[in-house]
Amino acid sequence: MLAAYLLIGAVLFVLGLIGFVTRRNLIIMFLCTELMFQGIVLNLVAFGRYPLAGTPTLDGQSFALFLLAVAAAEAALALALVVLLYRYRDTLDPNAWTSLKDK
Amino acid sequence: MSTVLFMLLLTLGGVGLYLAMPGGRLHVGRAALVVLLGAAGVLVAALMPLAGSHQQALWLALLALVALLGALRVITHPRPVYSALYFLLVIVAVGGMLIQMQATFLAAALLIIYAGAILVTYMFVIMLAQKGGGPASYDQQAREPLVGVAAGFVLLAALTGRVVTAGAAPGTDAAVDSEISNVVAVGVQLLTRYVVGVEITGVLLLAAMVGAIAIARRRAWHESQGGWG
Repeated sequence: MLAAYLLIGAVLFVLGLIGFVTRRNLIIMFLCTELMFQGIVLNLVAFGRYPLAGTPTLDGQSFALFLLAVAAAEAALALALVVLLYRYRDTLDPNAWTSLKDK
Repeated sequence: MSTVLFMLLLTLGGVGLYLAMPGGRLHVGRAALVVLLGAAGVLVAALMPLAGSHQQALWLALLALVALLGALRVITHPRPVYSALYFLLVIVAVGGMLIQMQATFLAAALLIIYAGAILVTYMFVIMLAQKGGGPASYDQQAREPLVGVAAGFVLLAALTGRVVTAGAAPGTDAAVDSEISNVVAVGVQLLTRYVVGVEITGVLLLAAMVGAIAIARRRAWHESQGGWG
């Protein structure tokens, strides 16, 4: 069972990563980080439920709850910034903010 | 699962995902669907023997299919609103998997926080930052889809190669102590062993709240001064 959940978690994480790299919409890029969080939650809980040695523990579930709090804080701040950036340039394309890039 | 089958699966998934990426290849959308369904079918067939009982295997296959197809549409759908809605599907599937692992409290918290709070915030922002007249150009065209998909699947191969090709399935399957409920057990652990973490999380949430309010106030101040200077 552990291998199955690790596999699903890894696929979710990698799909989120691919989305973050290839999408050109700031909101969807942050949605993809949430997708990566889902893969991590599955991994944490699976390792707690099916440990490599010993009896199941609740440590994975506790870590996942902290991860939920961090995800909520991240979403609030990131979306506030996205709205602010949209007001500046009227677009969600991250290519509109490349003034720090080395020419 | 043999190495050859694993590599075939990764190649199928990568090609299908590349074909499904938005931009210029919309006419091959149906071919992408066939390839991806094939890859998902092989993956589920490979997952089934890893599950303990017959019932577990059925639930695992169903939830894995829903989660993977939802995740796929999140990153390939050209309309942000639909991406967010497909993300909801992923949340529900992950919640189902958590219930399968007897993490009932975490499953409920995930549904309430993600579906109830975070997704609604995303919907608000998507609606705020939307122009009329169809999807925007930056949603129609993916950035470097070939390189992104290739890099992602190389990472996936590195992450899961050992797990998948290992002979015996790792991990014990000991029964969970069902004397006390999951909510009680998690609550006791949070307030004894991880109580410092809970306090720090409170500080983090306060800081995030102050930061979000500061960003919003900044905007109001600029607009009262007449535009963006």
